[in-house]
This record gives sequence, structure tokens and C-alpha cells, in this order.
Amino acid sequence: MKAAVRIQQEDFSQDEEISALKACSKRMGGIGTFLGCARDFSEGREVEQISFDAYGSMALSEMQKLRSDAIGKFALLDARIVHRIGTVSGGDNIVFIAAGAEHRVAALEACRWMIDELKQRVPIWKKEITPQGDAWVVPHP
Amino acid sequence: MISVLFFGPVAERIGKSALQVEFHHTMSLQNLRDKLAAQYPQAFEIVCFAAVNGEHARDMTIALTDGSEVAFMAKFSGG
Repeated sequence: MKAAVRIQQEDFSQDEEISALKACSKRMGGIGTFLGCARDFSEGREVEQISFDAYGSMALSEMQKLRSDAIGKFALLDARIVHRIGTVSGGDNIVFIAAGAEHRVAALEACRWMIDELKQRVPIWKKEITPQGDAWVVPHP
Repeated sequence: MISVLFFGPVAERIGKSALQVEFHHTMSLQNLRDKLAAQYPQAFEIVCFAAVNGEHARDMTIALTDGSEVAFMAKFSGG
């Protein structure tokens, strides 16, 4: 089985990640997921591609801590986080987060918390490649 | 020596992704930041976070040790 927390160039399968999550416990009654995708339009201009840079070892370590923190904070049965790096195009998957809990509220709240925390804690940067030139993305609140 | 790493927008402004800085006894993270900010002011305008050996470093007064890996980073934009 693939690791629960990964940074990878290649695309991921949401079905595989959810199956892996469900495999950990039959007590899981709710799964919350977040899929982040590349937009082909941003700040009033077309975006051809998005490229990522990351402090790979720290980013992976922070994502592993984030998963552990979420499991403790929301009493999750399991959680998974996958983030792509490299270059992606409009519509491509970027990040997938899944939280499994006994009930839906914890699963949904944990999922929301993990993506918000990931944006604050994990050293990954994205650059939009547009016909007008390239620009590093300024984070949104 | 201290290994200093830069990523994304900071690396682009500096024009490189790594530097080696000679270690001095009693060198703090703030000392290192000040030294590099004087050399690369445009890059350090956007530096918001520092890490030492892969861990977030919020206390800039911490003493560095020879062989440390330090990163000065802009706001993250993953996800």
C-alpha cells in the first residue's frame, strides 16, 4: 500500500486513496475529502501551467506531522495527504486530502482544517505560467 | 559551514537555490539573516519564515551550530 502522506510528480487516484483509507477500519462512518485542482484562469489572466517548488524533506515532514495532529485533534481513524509537485496544467489534480472518522462532522472538519493548515505550514510554492509571463502565487487567505 | 537553502520566489530573486556561509562561534539565526539580507535585500523583502534543519524556527535568537541547514522562505502557496 502507498504511504499515507506523499509528495509526488505523478497524478494520484482518489479511488485508491479512499480505498486505502477505508481499509484501516470498518468503524469508519464518514470520510471527508478535499481535491485541489489547477485553474486555467487566475487574477484576470489565462494560466497555461502551474509549476511547483518545494523544500521536499521539510514539506514531507510537515505533512506527516499535520496528519498526526489531525488524527489526534479530531479523533480520526485515519487520514491521507498527497501533494503533487513538478508542472501541471489547467484541470489537473494538485492535492488530495482525506479524513476518515466514525461520524461525518469530525471527518469534514478535519479535512477543512488540514487543507488550511497545509497552506500555512508546508513549504511548497506555486508559480503560474501565463502568456504574459510567469508569476509566483501570492497566498490567498 | 552553514548550508543556506532558498526556494521558489526567494531563490529566483537571489539567483541560486543554495549558499554556503562560513560558521562563526555564537552565530545566531538572526545574525545569519541580517548578513544575507544585506547582501540580497530584494530577496529578503519577501522572506517570512525560517527553518533550521528542516524545522520551523520562530525564535530568531537561537544559536546555529556548524553544519546546520538553514532555509529562508517566502509565504507558502501550496495546495
